[in-house]
Amino acid sequence: MRKNDSLTGNLDWPLLIAILTLMFMGLMTVYSVAFDPEHPSIFDFSQKYGKQVMWLGISLFLGTLVFLIDSDIYRKFAVPIYLSVIAMLVIVLFMPEVNGARAWLGIGSMGIQPAEFAKIGTAILLARYLGSTNLRSQDKMTVLIANGIILVPMALILLQPDAGTFIVFTSFLFVLYREGVSYDPIILALLNLLPMRWLHFKQTWLGSHFIPILFVVIFISVTTLLLSQETIAIEMFGGLEVEGKWGMVFFLGIISLVAYFLMRSIFARRDRRRAATIAIIGFVLASGLALVVQLGFDELAPHQKERIELVLGLREDPDGDDYNRNRAMAAVGSGGLFGKGYRNASVSSVRTNHVPESETDFIFCPFAEEWGFAGTIVLVFIYLFILLRIIMIAERQKAAFNRIYAYAVAMILFYHFAINIGMSIEFMPVIGIPLPFFSYGGSSMMSFSIMLFILLKLDSQRKDVLN
Amino acid sequence: MKFDGRKYVIITIFVLIGIVYSFKLFYMQVVDDEWKLRAQQIAEKRREITPPRAVVFDRNGNKVVSNKTYYNLMMVEANIEKLDTVAFAKLIGWTVQEVRDRFIEIVEGEGEYYNKHTGKTTSNYQRIRAYPFIKELTAEEISRIAPHLKNFKGFYEEVSSMRDYPYANGANILGYLAEVTQPEIDKDPFYRPGSRIGRAGIERYYEDYFRGKKGVRYIVTSAMNNTVGSFENGKYDTIAVQAPAIHLGLDIDLQAYGEQLMQGKKGCIVAIEPSTGEILALVSSPSYDPNLLVGNRKIRENYPMLVNDDNKPLFPRPLASEYMPGSTLKLVQSLIGMQEGVITKDSGFPCNKSVVGCHNHPSAQSVTQAVQMSCNPYFYAVTRRIIQQGKKRSSFEDSEIGLAKWAEYMHSFGLGVKLETDITGLRSGVIPDPAYYDKWYGHHAWKFSTIRSISIGQGEVQLTPLQLANLAAIMANRGWYYTPHFVKSIGEDGPLPQFLEKHYTMVDRKYFDPVIEGMRRVVWEPGGTARRARIDGITVCGKTGTVENYIGSIKQKNHSVFIAFAPMDNPQIAISVFIENAGGGGGTWSAPTASLMIEKYINGEVKSTAKEERIMNAELKGGPK
Repeated sequence: MRKNDSLTGNLDWPLLIAILTLMFMGLMTVYSVAFDPEHPSIFDFSQKYGKQVMWLGISLFLGTLVFLIDSDIYRKFAVPIYLSVIAMLVIVLFMPEVNGARAWLGIGSMGIQPAEFAKIGTAILLARYLGSTNLRSQDKMTVLIANGIILVPMALILLQPDAGTFIVFTSFLFVLYREGVSYDPIILALLNLLPMRWLHFKQTWLGSHFIPILFVVIFISVTTLLLSQETIAIEMFGGLEVEGKWGMVFFLGIISLVAYFLMRSIFARRDRRRAATIAIIGFVLASGLALVVQLGFDELAPHQKERIELVLGLREDPDGDDYNRNRAMAAVGSGGLFGKGYRNASVSSVRTNHVPESETDFIFCPFAEEWGFAGTIVLVFIYLFILLRIIMIAERQKAAFNRIYAYAVAMILFYHFAINIGMSIEFMPVIGIPLPFFSYGGSSMMSFSIMLFILLKLDSQRKDVLN
Repeated sequence: MKFDGRKYVIITIFVLIGIVYSFKLFYMQVVDDEWKLRAQQIAEKRREITPPRAVVFDRNGNKVVSNKTYYNLMMVEANIEKLDTVAFAKLIGWTVQEVRDRFIEIVEGEGEYYNKHTGKTTSNYQRIRAYPFIKELTAEEISRIAPHLKNFKGFYEEVSSMRDYPYANGANILGYLAEVTQPEIDKDPFYRPGSRIGRAGIERYYEDYFRGKKGVRYIVTSAMNNTVGSFENGKYDTIAVQAPAIHLGLDIDLQAYGEQLMQGKKGCIVAIEPSTGEILALVSSPSYDPNLLVGNRKIRENYPMLVNDDNKPLFPRPLASEYMPGSTLKLVQSLIGMQEGVITKDSGFPCNKSVVGCHNHPSAQSVTQAVQMSCNPYFYAVTRRIIQQGKKRSSFEDSEIGLAKWAEYMHSFGLGVKLETDITGLRSGVIPDPAYYDKWYGHHAWKFSTIRSISIGQGEVQLTPLQLANLAAIMANRGWYYTPHFVKSIGEDGPLPQFLEKHYTMVDRKYFDPVIEGMRRVVWEPGGTARRARIDGITVCGKTGTVENYIGSIKQKNHSVFIAFAPMDNPQIAISVFIENAGGGGGTWSAPTASLMIEKYINGEVKSTAKEERIMNAELKGGPK
């Protein structure tokens, strides 16, 4: 094995700088939103911003520590790491309840959330398993074991309960998808439950692309139902008011158009004609789905509707108009083009307390309110850059373990990003998960940092790996 | 590898979500205004600050209207802990039931809000918001309550500003404030529910000058509805500006003196400075203390009492009461006669009592004498010549032309037309014109003999005391007037432009002298009708009037009228006094009252104590003659 001359020689600086930028922006937002004039110093450790400075320090310290350790140990010790986080997830179930969940290990504010670290352990074991050289991705056993690795911590997390992290764990399914794990065996097993014989069923397009299809279906369904409550005014047509479902179809049309032009610019010349076909088919399928979902929802009995609305957070508050998301959206939407200015958030400041958890799960709100669209577009771009950069890093790995781990990190970050921002702009139900590297909180900051520095370390040592 | 293409699926999902979110963020933050409005509903409240209304000074710099601090007893239901209703009711001097009713009244007064998303109706009342439990407590009342409020959590005092009248006089001039009505709120965005607006007097007429400029504060409120700070550091805030002080031509001491003189009598006094048209005093008797109508509480208590009073204290008699002017109109008849050339100043007419009644006096040999003796037959003859000038063969047609001309003259004296004074509730009086009589008798069915009582200011002629005072001012100025008005300056500005416009009568300057000499003789010569109007050292010129009046067919005591100005040269005050059903003639009660006012104004003090005592002690209740 050939060692690098310097420790940081192969460090992926663009990714690290993007992450540090996020951390800085997050800290400044916490400083703004939780600002107490009687404790003006950002290093005042009695305040949230002071603590966040401390968490950042600890996280970067841990990150550096991770970077000093040889990355080979993760692959070697994947099983013990996984088992120890599982053990922590079991132990935490016997801890006293805090805010209705047994999620905290440790005492008071110095506790950690094992669920945050379970993501890392699961990612590592998944990488180890799917990265083994003799893996047969179409096998029944493969899909069962791979799903099992994910399902065990998920089940334990559901017992806490922690719905947010539970949902985040489904992001690993995309990792399975990337590695070619086919759901055909499961689909076939399900089909065989029906009183018909499906002997000729072998390998299908549905089974191969089961996960992204499921994701798109769920995303469109949820968004349609969230929009179904409102009438949408389409400004471009002179404020024409349409029902939620037609608004959804309109949005899908715009998205398909954008996707078409994007595909045209990316695709090779001979594939360009396919772009239009894909866009049209995609649009028809997605619109059809949205309309069917809306139709199906309308047909439901009132109590069933109520249950779904409850799950989506549309009925969180009996007053209807006043639920958390409504206020979160008021905060985001009132930011305007350039925002109200630093430390001027009126709806989502901690002092006014209209938006709950505005320094943790809803931190996007004060940021959007203070910096406006100019700020949010920058933030979205930074996240998009980080996600695509990680995919790029993943694809340049020689070792399957590294690639799979990188995909796991990308998917987890993507889920956090999409759900956290989505719930403030009516694309997602309100699910309490932090915005990575941005929200206030020790556990999430530390676990994300460790997760990322493992990736950076793996990447910096990618040339050392022979196989 | 085999599955490398799948990275594009994942990349596509990332990019699509990024694009979708960017679009939605752009729509929410830049295009759609809904969320900005929602944010204002939730957290960014607009607070208007209404400045105190302008203060008012009289012509001598006495403050006649100012603002006083009052207190509201505020309530926040969410902060109330185990309210001892009995003790609380005792503290504020209510019954327990009244306290309970007040709670219900507050909640119901807030109305309801219909949510179109959920189809639910909820009350606008919020437990965490502050509502006034009792409004407008005086400093004295709150000082009794405030020390005990610590025992009643959820209640506290709040300061508010209301009108204060240091003098208990001039209520009908100053007017009063009352809460705005919904149509007023809809019409003018300045007003909010609970705002006060001028309801009468100059408070109403000059509302726009009184109210000042509102300030606006944008504040950030918390979920508990506490004020957290100013929005964007007060970038959009403006300060409230009180309107500049208003100065009146009114002499509050003269006004008070007039009200004192008129005690026990029904009627009015109007005094004007002839050279400017400024109203020095405008007494309406009986009147009321303007402090009775300050704030809702007092209005609720006192307004019904004032409205139901048979003597109608709220009724501004000098502006809105139309009386027959009696002999005071003879001044104008003689002026018109001379201007029209139907008489000269030396024309004489016999006192022929067969056409119209008169008192015993030698026949008048000139206009001056006729005015001095107030000879009825003389003015009957003069008016007949004015109305029937022989321009047409038919006396009916002739009278039509003549009366039209006569009415035109009268209008030029501000009689029978609205004097656009700066106060509301004015009436125009009645100067009959051909159309008026056509309606009564039919076209060309009347002539002078039909309408002859107008020659001596009886019959159909009706004038307001303000018009009579203005007539006195016209006599003083020898032929012109400024529209009488109250406000001489607003801040740095003078009166409204219409009050700087000189109005000339249709009678030439030269015809006034013989009439004014007659007015002098009314007071100063034997045979004059107003010898009681004499003041040592001041040449008062005046004219009495005695107005016969009936209730049904029962003759009532005469109204007593007197108009005057003084001094004869360089007049400083013109005045009209009208006392209802005083009995006797114009010289009996009104003339001495006017002279006391003149003496008070010009000399600053009254030496005619016997006269003063006689008037002040007189209770003139009216009744049948």
